Amino acid sequence: MTVPVSYYLILSAIVFLTGVVGVLIRRNIIAILLSVELMLNATNINFVAFSDHLQDLGGQVFVFFALTVAAAEVAVGLAIIIALHRSSSTINIEEFNLLKW
Amino acid sequence: MTGFPWLTVLIFLPLIGAVVLFTVKDSSVRLVALGITVADLLISLPLWWLFDASSGQMQFVEFARWIPTLSINYKLGLDGISLPLIIMTTVLMPLCVLISWHAIETRVRSFMAMLLIMESAMIGVFCALDFVLFYVFWEAMLIPMYLLIGVWGGPNRIYAAIKFFLYTLAGSVLLLVGILVLYFQGGHTFDILQLSQRSYGEALQIWIFFAFFAAFAVKVPMFPFHTWLPDAHVEAPTAGSVLLASVLLKMGTYGFLRFSLPMLPDASRLFTPLMVALSIVAIIYGAYMALAQADLKKLIAYSSVSHMGFVTLGLFMFNIQGIEGAVMQMVNHGITTGGLFLCVGMIYERTHSRQIADNIGLTKPMPRYATLLVIFALSSLGLPGTNSFVGEFMVLVGTFLWSKIAAALASLGIILAAAYLLWMIQRVAFGIPAAHVLPKLRDLNLREMVTLVPLAVLIFVIGLFPNPVLTRMHMSVEKVIARVIPLPQEETSALNQQVPSSTQQGLTANVDLTISRGTTSSRLADLSTKEHRP
Amino acid sequence: MTFSVGDLFLILPELLVITAACVVLVLDPVLRGPSKDSLVWVSLGTLAICMGLTASQVSGPTAIFSGLVIIDAYGAFWKLLLYFVTGLTILLSYSYLKEERLYFGEYYGFILLALAGMMVMVSADDLLTIYLGTELMSLSLYVMTGLKREEPRSLEASAKYFVLGAFSSGILLYGISLLYGATGSTRLPEIATVIAGQGLSDPLLLFSTILLAVGFGFKLAVVPFHMWTPDVYQGAPTSVTAFMAVASKAASFGAFLRVFIEGLGGLKANWSAIFLLLCIATLLIGNIVALIQTNVKRMLAYSSIAHAGYALIGVVAAGRMEGSSGIASVLLYLALYTFMTFGAFAIVAMLRKGNIEGEEIEDFTGLSKRHPLAALLMLIFMVSLAGIPPTAGFVGKLYIFKSAVEAGMTWLAALGLIFAAISAYFYLRLVMVMYMREPIDHSDTAPHVVMSPTLSIVLACTVAGVVIFGVYPNPLVSFTMQAVLILK
Repeated sequence: MTVPVSYYLILSAIVFLTGVVGVLIRRNIIAILLSVELMLNATNINFVAFSDHLQDLGGQVFVFFALTVAAAEVAVGLAIIIALHRSSSTINIEEFNLLKW
Repeated sequence: MTGFPWLTVLIFLPLIGAVVLFTVKDSSVRLVALGITVADLLISLPLWWLFDASSGQMQFVEFARWIPTLSINYKLGLDGISLPLIIMTTVLMPLCVLISWHAIETRVRSFMAMLLIMESAMIGVFCALDFVLFYVFWEAMLIPMYLLIGVWGGPNRIYAAIKFFLYTLAGSVLLLVGILVLYFQGGHTFDILQLSQRSYGEALQIWIFFAFFAAFAVKVPMFPFHTWLPDAHVEAPTAGSVLLASVLLKMGTYGFLRFSLPMLPDASRLFTPLMVALSIVAIIYGAYMALAQADLKKLIAYSSVSHMGFVTLGLFMFNIQGIEGAVMQMVNHGITTGGLFLCVGMIYERTHSRQIADNIGLTKPMPRYATLLVIFALSSLGLPGTNSFVGEFMVLVGTFLWSKIAAALASLGIILAAAYLLWMIQRVAFGIPAAHVLPKLRDLNLREMVTLVPLAVLIFVIGLFPNPVLTRMHMSVEKVIARVIPLPQEETSALNQQVPSSTQQGLTANVDLTISRGTTSSRLADLSTKEHRP
Repeated sequence: MTFSVGDLFLILPELLVITAACVVLVLDPVLRGPSKDSLVWVSLGTLAICMGLTASQVSGPTAIFSGLVIIDAYGAFWKLLLYFVTGLTILLSYSYLKEERLYFGEYYGFILLALAGMMVMVSADDLLTIYLGTELMSLSLYVMTGLKREEPRSLEASAKYFVLGAFSSGILLYGISLLYGATGSTRLPEIATVIAGQGLSDPLLLFSTILLAVGFGFKLAVVPFHMWTPDVYQGAPTSVTAFMAVASKAASFGAFLRVFIEGLGGLKANWSAIFLLLCIATLLIGNIVALIQTNVKRMLAYSSIAHAGYALIGVVAAGRMEGSSGIASVLLYLALYTFMTFGAFAIVAMLRKGNIEGEEIEDFTGLSKRHPLAALLMLIFMVSLAGIPPTAGFVGKLYIFKSAVEAGMTWLAALGLIFAAISAYFYLRLVMVMYMREPIDHSDTAPHVVMSPTLSIVLACTVAGVVIFGVYPNPLVSFTMQAVLILK
């Protein structure tokens, strides 16, 4: 029995929305970073599901690239967070108020 | 037409001069600026005689492709309407340099450069036969004028400069939209002559009329868009006031005459009552406000509002007397008001006050000055024998043909003008000075006499012999009228058939047809001008 | 899947830039003291070579790497613009980093990496490559924003940029995945074919269009996705701000136009309605909020938001008409915007107040007395940004509004012009402060412009562009017309 593609889409939509809401309401940058990762992984679910549905390998290739880029993004992001933590000893986004948001 | 590129030289000589100015020694900046403006004047003068008065077509036309992808061209030309305005501009520029000789002591180089850039842009506006080229010159004037007022102006200069800038810029944004719409409606061209020959739907004409109106009415300035004018005039340095009053205001009325009337004839006719009403309100309101002013510059500024009311009134009469009178009045106002502002500048250099109360009874200490001031004031109030009389009288005759009531109301403006100007003269020239108020004042020196006398001479020359000016503009004005007042049906269709085939032929036909109809009116104009000869 | 060695020749500029970036990154720890200057010359030399290579590639479209990348006049247009901006950025940074006492060789490496990302973006013909290019550009820019590590403001800007940038990338990627599902391909020409066949029957297509619009909206700093712009522009080192405001915006527009015109061209009517709303909001917020700024960098940030709004007028017009003149006007606008915005930022970067930057509007007080030339140049840039002739800004606006009228949206042109008149107020306020106020402070720490040979080159290039293209835009115009021909 095969699972219809719409199930995957609903799953990925839920994961994606969780990520979006997380970015918008969490105040800790690490948590925000994790939420962004959720968004990216929702995308990966989509790609794999569509790839299977369309019988096209392009989607799975895309997943590899998305994963790699996500890893690079996390590396840069964590570096910035560490530098920020060193200078202001907090990673709570509400305490960054030198610039108006 | 090939030959010497008179107009290009005329436009770009001052601009090049402005650059050259930055390479000369500090001590000779003023002289170089004077030399450039005088050179420009000398170049412009031959045009007066080379101009063929028997033709209503554009002359000295120059053409070059500029931005082919939008069919924007560098096209210049002169007709009988722009010629007097250009000569007036070139005559005034050396005087502006002269009046600033000692009045401007800081950053002289930049000041003179701004004046020269202004001259380029102003001449460009009157010569441009391409709408985008016109718009470029029109807008290019804003920044130098903004700086002239803002850097070298009076105590409240920043406010006045920004007000001037925002008013005129806000007015002209819609002008560009109007131009772009015309471009698509008029067959993908920005050529002013071609656009003036097409016919557009009435609804479209009304929209574009409002877009143009916003730009031109602010510049004129027509009531109720005039509030920037007194501020700008009071704060601007004398040369700035002169340019503002004599040339910049004319650009608004020139715009009406060059664009609104020929391109949008139906809308122009439709809005005639509105324009006449605003003009008459401006005439009376401006004169009334002038009565109440204690500051000489403000008084002249409000008198400008009143006088420009006559110009717009004459333009929208659509008869030969009205429009010729209006063009005449544009030139006259430039000369007379320019002279008045120069006078105020001179007295300000001496007493450091522009208040009437501080400058009473100047005849005793400064007889030459007082004489000239009286001449300019009498010209401004339209005394027969002076230039303004010719213009205002013709406008009134034109108005009389349209509506007796309007003419009567407009005449009220002349009476009020007599009141405020004579009252001003009575105090400033002939009042009894309080001994301690006026120290020993030096009369005009040679430089100042050279500044004022040419204008005074022009006042009488035009006042007594207006015909050279009138004959030069006659054919061009006829052409405009032929556009606004529709011809009988079969002639119109004959004309329309000719226009697309050949522009040149269409123009000639246009003129031919109107001459037969215009004879009576032009004879009347001749009569009215001959009456005042001595 | 086909791959030929010949393809590598066609992406030689990209390869060269990446190689140069690696060389700079490797050499940086080895070199000491003044010899670090050689990194600047390596970078500039690479750009010069690339410029020559790309200029020879202005030719018909050649799809390479099985359609992942396309070499065409459109890409060449953006690449040449990007080389130019990058070159200016490097020259400006050379002086700026010295003033700021920032001695990072990596800096030039990151600029080149960002450039490589942008080059990939504008020559990508596949959503995958567009995504990769965008990420390479963004990751480099996050780091460059936070380069002033001693200054909390810079780090904070970096963090904000990173969070919102990553967020927008996520949205963009989700949009791409939905588009892939709806059309079965990530290649733009194939997507276009599918859409031409089925239209907007699939709701996935609508969703993905909206998500892509949002994702690109962040990159282009279009209201309401602009919140990061003023903070990041203010916090970042000014040379980086200039680079972001000009180059990253140009590259984002390059990719954005290719996706929406080439890939989603069949949905013109749908997306032009979306962008019409974004465009009006952008013009409104950008111009109105700029009125109340007291910091020049923030003011210029809002100005750059507003200018994206003007460019969007051209995009909306392009969506409402046949023919490519609408897109050509967008390209022209952004090219001209480059000169004036970069010039303005260059002067802000070099206005020093003691050891720090003079970036408040007050710091410009009386500049015309202390440094007439810098004030005159700033005047020209401001006049051009306000769109007053005879400057480049006017030509750009003329073409944009002409497209709007051509597309039958005269009211949009009128609206744009009204906002242009409003914007004149805050541009002219800077002129007023420079020219009409007397300098307050006469001490040594009074704000003054530090001139240097490299800065002179930057200013000469930008002001020449503003003035020359303001009077004679023909070469640029015909290049843009040629560039957009393939986007049909």
